[in-house]
Amino acid sequence: MEKVHTTCIYCGCGCGLLLHVEDGRVVGASPSPLHPMSLGRLCIKGWLAGEFVDHPDRLRYPLIRRGDRLSRVTWEEALSLTAASLRAIAQELGPNSLGVLTSAKGTNEENYLLMKLARAGLKTNNVDHVARLCHAPTVAGLSYAFGSGAMTNPIASLAQATAILVVGSNTTEQHPLVASYILEARGKGARLVVADPRKTQLAGLADLRLAPRPGTDIAWINALLNVIIQENLIDQEFIDARTEGFDAVRQTVLGSTPEAAERISGIPAHDLAEAARIFGSAERAAVVYAAGITQHTTGTDNVQALANLVLATGNIGREGTGLYPLREHQNVQGACDMGALPDLYCGYQKVAQARQKFEQAWQTKLPDEPGLTALEMLALAEDGRLKGLFIVGENPMMSYPDSSQIKKALEALEFLVVCDIFPTETSELADVVLPAASFAEKEGTFTSTERRIQRIRRAVKAPGEARAEWEIISDLLHRMGVPADYASAAEIMEEIASLTPQYGGVHYDRLGACGLQWPCPSRDHPGTGILHAEKFSIGRARFRAVEHREPVEAADDEYPLILTTGRSLYHSHTGTMTRRTSLLDREVPLPAVEINPEDARLLGIRNGQPVMVETRRGSISLEARVTEDTPKGSIFVPFHFSEAPANVLTSQALDPVSKIPEFKVSAARIRRS
Amino acid sequence: MAFLPQERLVPLLTLLSDRMEVVAPILVEGVPVFASWSGQPLALKDNPLMPPQEFFLPQREVLFRYIQDCGSYSFEEAAGKARLIFGIRPCDLRALAVLDRIFGSDPMDQSYFDKRRSTVLVALNCNEPGENCFCDHLGFGPTCSEAVDLQLTEIDKGYLVESGSPAGILILKEHPEFFLETSQSHLLEKCEMLGQAREAMNSCIARSLPGIKEAIKKADWNALGRTCLNCGSCTFVCPVCHCFTIQDLGVPDGERMRCRDTCLLSGFSRMAGGANPRISQGDRMQNWYLDKFEYIPQRTGLLGCVGCGRCSRVCLAEMDRWSLEVKR
Repeated sequence: MEKVHTTCIYCGCGCGLLLHVEDGRVVGASPSPLHPMSLGRLCIKGWLAGEFVDHPDRLRYPLIRRGDRLSRVTWEEALSLTAASLRAIAQELGPNSLGVLTSAKGTNEENYLLMKLARAGLKTNNVDHVARLCHAPTVAGLSYAFGSGAMTNPIASLAQATAILVVGSNTTEQHPLVASYILEARGKGARLVVADPRKTQLAGLADLRLAPRPGTDIAWINALLNVIIQENLIDQEFIDARTEGFDAVRQTVLGSTPEAAERISGIPAHDLAEAARIFGSAERAAVVYAAGITQHTTGTDNVQALANLVLATGNIGREGTGLYPLREHQNVQGACDMGALPDLYCGYQKVAQARQKFEQAWQTKLPDEPGLTALEMLALAEDGRLKGLFIVGENPMMSYPDSSQIKKALEALEFLVVCDIFPTETSELADVVLPAASFAEKEGTFTSTERRIQRIRRAVKAPGEARAEWEIISDLLHRMGVPADYASAAEIMEEIASLTPQYGGVHYDRLGACGLQWPCPSRDHPGTGILHAEKFSIGRARFRAVEHREPVEAADDEYPLILTTGRSLYHSHTGTMTRRTSLLDREVPLPAVEINPEDARLLGIRNGQPVMVETRRGSISLEARVTEDTPKGSIFVPFHFSEAPANVLTSQALDPVSKIPEFKVSAARIRRS
Repeated sequence: MAFLPQERLVPLLTLLSDRMEVVAPILVEGVPVFASWSGQPLALKDNPLMPPQEFFLPQREVLFRYIQDCGSYSFEEAAGKARLIFGIRPCDLRALAVLDRIFGSDPMDQSYFDKRRSTVLVALNCNEPGENCFCDHLGFGPTCSEAVDLQLTEIDKGYLVESGSPAGILILKEHPEFFLETSQSHLLEKCEMLGQAREAMNSCIARSLPGIKEAIKKADWNALGRTCLNCGSCTFVCPVCHCFTIQDLGVPDGERMRCRDTCLLSGFSRMAGGANPRISQGDRMQNWYLDKFEYIPQRTGLLGCVGCGRCSRVCLAEMDRWSLEVKR
């Protein structure tokens, strides 16, 4: 039996784990005690991370659509068809009729190459990925406020906090290792405030629980700032020395009294005042947030509101303080770092400013027209203006909002290529399906939510003819006339390091069990744990006044409930991997809609009863779970299940800045079926 | 009994590895693990986080392959592998003794005993117990008393080797060139080393069987269940935990898999109709402790806890696994 040190494939925590290999098969997984964050611990998904690898459903051979069937072909046939079709579309309608959706489950090297394929090969900036649906507001909001859209401290720093505010994060279920550090801090006496409409496990353990009405975060966060200013709990020295724009914020939050916020958010004014005092008077306060903050039409403003709170109290740049956005995928941070975004190259270098640098490096002309975000691409596809799409390791049919709209868009495409490890609802619509190697079958790096760049290592051979995506993309780059003679993933990282200032010192020989945290600009640089310690990269951090705006949809007579969507501890996203893992699928085998007992009683719904949930977009049938954990007036549906895909219900209303859809607020109704 | 000079250990293992797969603690990216040994430096300082139990009860194993042909099925079983596990510690050996009784009770578990019979166990007694270790408080260790083929104790310039079974004696007899005569002083040295180890354990951890049983009796299981993060880690690292589930993968041909399971998941005890006799996480935690300290002793006569302390190292909820006190 061999053991191979690698990195977990599930959430953004990026735990170190060992895959156990016997006779060429993954037979188990265990935690890595030397990993600086996970310290020999794993959540249930991590323990079972190796199981899906040899599942019989794995895609093994390239497939091409012939009529209504997908038939096995050779790699040569599949790739030449892909290259020829994409080229033909570009010739007919111009390069911007093509788009690429990369994968937050892929490696940094693969995201970099896909970004290169889109820009240097297909000559379009239409490249995006699932960060658009989870943390685009973090990238936009924190880049503006601090100059860097990433978690400010290492996760372990949370253990040193004396007060922690957790907002819109079901941390124990979605990022259990982060929750572990929060519990450690709590055990040492830190005060814990949890704001979430649902009564999560962490909310049950909090010193103070705030339950805002969905979509009202700015109102109550501004109220915290209001009390902090009124009671002079601000860090004036820090504000004067290191920030700008505080006066405008002070003006704006003047009217945001706890009483006013209570009327909007439903959180009692005295709780808001207490939360403000806990946070404002703490020696080291930290804010943890996740998709509950970002997945709103006010996502970018929500993030800024939290940044304002942290800046006003001087809680940044020190151990135990800071802002902790929790990324959902294990490499959503890396995919952003690698420039799988329509307006940025790797290292967050703006297309408008860094184009020449990349033209020189890649020895080719690059497009200057700004690219489209994921949902904008699909909207154009539906209009017939975007004809060819290359999707790698994503399942928009399940994960994007308003599925029936997504289906129309994908069906309207002239040519769709999907590269994945399992057949998905999206690959069913593809013209070409390319089988990819899983994380256990290739080399590469992932960047965790704490900016830790870590290696994955090949433990077993890929099934059938499946290949690592970096090899597939290199091949396509060749066919598009862009030189791509990479012998290994390590070589790609050398190129990334030469073009990405934050990754400048990242080389495979430096990435042992611990990885490196960026910024790591040079070979002798040890990496950076705490950002913004001495100065912000933009000079002074920026306050920006933000104000409450109502969500796009409100509950009304026709649709009287507010639907929020989310996840379960035991599943990851569209369930492609976790639903093929026996214990995880047994634990939560079926979708259920959570509803408050009072609402359930009024509607005559009992626990376990089949019900139908409807919104203006569509309806799904599933079981009801009656629980006090969901507040009155709200219902909750997880989006892992193809039997009842939650995203049939959600809307495509977008945040104007970051273009994230409002997954967390949809007007809905529910009835017995 | 014999003396194995330090420098002869690796040559001996090399010789044995011609005949069978040698498993030993080695470092992978600096992490000590039990894995196939082919000359890598041995990592004998700490007991790896994952016990060598997985060589008898793998996390996932193929029990057999089923092949469908014209409506009837035939079955293929993989042949067992001859193996030698070097460096297993007294606690993990004790756990194997418990598993032998559990899997040996009627009906005997064929797959487990196939592996058990084809494996030679060479144990290493603990001169330096880890910070979470407390085997001595449970009445055995840090030396081996059973189920061992050979046991080694590190003493000055080498190892004192004692055989515990015919397989162990065979190794001594077949390879006399590696071993030297022992003297009374070697035995005294061993006793002294292990005495010191016991003292070290006693001085840093105040844990006793009555104390643990008392804690189990007094624990507020609901409160503990509320902080448990359902990771199952304590069951996955426990050398005595052995629950499994069965899964058939593939139609019409495929494999019957035995996969590790954990009683801390609600699905473990949930009935087909949805009812669950252990409805809360607190119930499930309580069951885990009662299994270790009440049910397994009743069934096997041996404690279901061997004092390796691994569950305290991996608890995601930062619980004190032995005082079972709710922090706040």
